[in-house]
Amino acid sequence: MADFKYIRPDNLPEALDFLWDNGQDTAIIAGGTDVMIDVKSGKLDKKYLLDISRLDELKGIELNGRDLCVGSGVTLSEIYTSALLASNALALQKSAVNFAARQIRNIATIGGNVAHSSPCGDTVPSLLLHDAIALVADKKGIQHIPMEQMATSAYMSSLTPQQIIVKFILTPYQDGYADFQKIGRRKELAISRMSMAAFVKKDSTGRISFLKLALGACTPVPCSMGAVEAFLTGKVPTRELLWEAGGLLAERMIEITGNRSSTIYKKPAVQGLFMRILFPMVGS
Amino acid sequence: MTFEINGQEHTLDIPADITALEVIRSLLGLTGTKEGCGIGECGACTIVVDGKSVNSCLMLGAQLDGTKVLTVEGLATEASLAPLQEQFMKNHGVQCGFCTPGILMSTHALLEENPDPDTEEISKALAGNLCRCTGYQQIFASVKAAATASRDDRITGGKNG
Repeated sequence: MADFKYIRPDNLPEALDFLWDNGQDTAIIAGGTDVMIDVKSGKLDKKYLLDISRLDELKGIELNGRDLCVGSGVTLSEIYTSALLASNALALQKSAVNFAARQIRNIATIGGNVAHSSPCGDTVPSLLLHDAIALVADKKGIQHIPMEQMATSAYMSSLTPQQIIVKFILTPYQDGYADFQKIGRRKELAISRMSMAAFVKKDSTGRISFLKLALGACTPVPCSMGAVEAFLTGKVPTRELLWEAGGLLAERMIEITGNRSSTIYKKPAVQGLFMRILFPMVGS
Repeated sequence: MTFEINGQEHTLDIPADITALEVIRSLLGLTGTKEGCGIGECGACTIVVDGKSVNSCLMLGAQLDGTKVLTVEGLATEASLAPLQEQFMKNHGVQCGFCTPGILMSTHALLEENPDPDTEEISKALAGNLCRCTGYQQIFASVKAAATASRDDRITGGKNG
């Protein structure tokens, strides 16, 4: 067990004040489902544990005009049950469906999932899909960080020790097809080996008029797949075309990761997952 | 910190680095809640905090401050077992019993939220509770029987209770 002091500020300014002076020596806890593993194994080598789980400023899901705002302290269960997200960010809502188990979803937060910067953070591909911007605060002000820049590498976020993620601002998508799926060792309670989020719109002629695609878990940092988006946009999706696009996606993945011993398995898996997600677009 | 557990208020001074599970088992002596994996995968340590099921092994003890907690000890009364517990007995939902307190608490939270769950909803709610004995069928049957019993109970105004 570790030796630290537990601090629970009453509001965000108090939390930011504390971090301004003690950020280097402080670990932040929200739901705690990642931090507690370190606490229990004695790996947490900080003087303070700052509990931000009760800060009202980090709560709530709301739609303000064209901004869909999701507080960093929103739990995965709240995402799972949010009607607003189901109609404006279905892929994000779906990413909470098979996120660990109910006991974890009830306390784990989206802010923690992002800040932890695990390659397999299940909410990250959907946040990329919605061009999410993280609103990040420290004592001196607010910074807007695009999701692409949140993680610098596996388990390394670009946040300074003085910063807290306040909320995520997403571009809402309605009237289209959205999905999130993942591959893990079992259906429930599995850490993602591969995850994928997609949003598709087709025009009256059956062509793809808008496509967003993001890949997670099998690259060091989840990433958008602009090359595949560009390849498919303007085309009528057929089985053959999607298979080709899935192949392109696999090539992109290999460009990022290099050829690893697991590539021989991951290449058909990424292509297959892509087919599974996009196939409903054929002929519908 | 001050919190309520099974209807009783407690004020405790605790070290910063202990889990909710340690508070419950070691400091309060409520050993019905079990520790299995200790990393939030098996669900043996499930308790209900403010109406929600959580893994007490992954919750910091200090985070219990101001909450209302229910553990397996809070289900039964002095006089009788809770209907949920009765149904687990009747339907052989218990074998070695180690996972049972956690499963009862996940089920309790589920039935409070959804009094009439189908098999898929039960399976979803209990996915975070591993049982290596029963193969889950008897557990699902117990949960369904508990839901039915409490529905009949509501209809007859408790006369069958």
